[in-house]
Amino acid sequence: MESAETAEEKTSSISVAQRRAEIRRRKLLMNSEDRMNRIVGYAKNESENNGASRRPTEPRFHLDLDRTEQWSSSSSSPRPSPFLPEASGYGSRSHSATPERRGSPLPGCNESPVASLEDDIGVLRQRPRGERVSDDLSGSPRRGFQTYLSFDDAMKLANNKPPQDEESDSEEFDTFRVFRLIGSILLAIFVRLFVCKYLSIFAPFLTLELAYMGLSKYFPKVEKKTKTTVLTAALLLSGIPAEVINRSMDTYRRMGDVFSDLCFYFFTFILSHEILLFVGSETP
Amino acid sequence: MAAGYAWFLVLASVFLCNLMKTLLPSISSFLTKMIQKDAEQEIEMRAEIQEMKKEQSSISMMDEFARYARLERKINKMTDKLKTQVKSRTAQQAKMKWVVNIIFYILQAALMISLIWKYYADPVTVVPNRWIAPVERLVAFPTGVAGGVGITSWLVVCNKVVSLGLLAVS
Repeated sequence: MESAETAEEKTSSISVAQRRAEIRRRKLLMNSEDRMNRIVGYAKNESENNGASRRPTEPRFHLDLDRTEQWSSSSSSPRPSPFLPEASGYGSRSHSATPERRGSPLPGCNESPVASLEDDIGVLRQRPRGERVSDDLSGSPRRGFQTYLSFDDAMKLANNKPPQDEESDSEEFDTFRVFRLIGSILLAIFVRLFVCKYLSIFAPFLTLELAYMGLSKYFPKVEKKTKTTVLTAALLLSGIPAEVINRSMDTYRRMGDVFSDLCFYFFTFILSHEILLFVGSETP
Repeated sequence: MAAGYAWFLVLASVFLCNLMKTLLPSISSFLTKMIQKDAEQEIEMRAEIQEMKKEQSSISMMDEFARYARLERKINKMTDKLKTQVKSRTAQQAKMKWVVNIIFYILQAALMISLIWKYYADPVTVVPNRWIAPVERLVAFPTGVAGGVGITSWLVVCNKVVSLGLLAVS
């Protein structure tokens, strides 16, 4: 009788010890996963995601827990934890980089049943965190992919420089631009002949530019591609949004247009002034 | 104070520089052709490779394998030789282009510096002061002459006008 009792006590203590060992091992395995994620970073997260996409990990983990709990409560004969083959299969697919997953059961330690229950609760609580991690894993490759896309776009932009330069040169003389330049030339001649004696030559020019701003909407809008240079690629890589870059380039382009108009205006004014002086000096 | 035709001299210089800039690729390729004398040899090699390829296409590989293989080896050898020659010619072309560009930019810089040096104190032309108000100081820089048009502003204006004009023409 005593021997039977002692045997029962022994088996129950072994089962408790084994249960505790199993919980401890699970805890360590979860930590190792976090550790590996921290060390390896996204690459590991992508591989885990690929593994996760092939089969549902969390439900399986949940089943494993249930199975192990049932096994530990039933106090069956000592045998390798069913979690181990699961873990090895699990590890082969997604946690291959985690040696602890494949590893042997943890050595038992003296823990109270209360502590083991708390461990169970902790492990169960950790599951949602694992799910959150998987969400992060799914999110971060997306973010990383977006970063990769932006880098790829940036490199494509930098590599596509020569043909787009030619396109921008040819697009420089659209209808509105030609209209502006001709308007500036005509106004300069008019101002030299009739207006310059009364006021500054820049006042009519400013009025003309204001008129151009209003007239621009009546002309067909040519979609001018952003001049893709190393500068724009560098700005993209530095994190400045493409929209901001586009707007800045658009503003810079508009300022360039105004400057071109001013140059043509002033040049025509001086040229007409010199011609008039020459003609005036020639005439008796 | 201002030379009569200083504005025209500056305009002509800027026009010449911009014209030379557009003609630079043609000049460099012309000089390269003058220097390189083995262009005919390259043409001959290409013709020979073409002929050998024609001959090879007429031969059946199954029936005359030895002859086919011999021709193949000849073609490969000549192709390698041609590739080497093309590489050296391309490198020489690039070098010539680089040299021509460097010389041009040096000459252009020298011309611009000499013009600025000459007209540093004299405006290229003079107009009544009130015409160019309120930016008369900026326009007159660096001469300081009231109503004068300084060399720097005139250079900028001429450069822009000539470059856009040549772009429109070309």
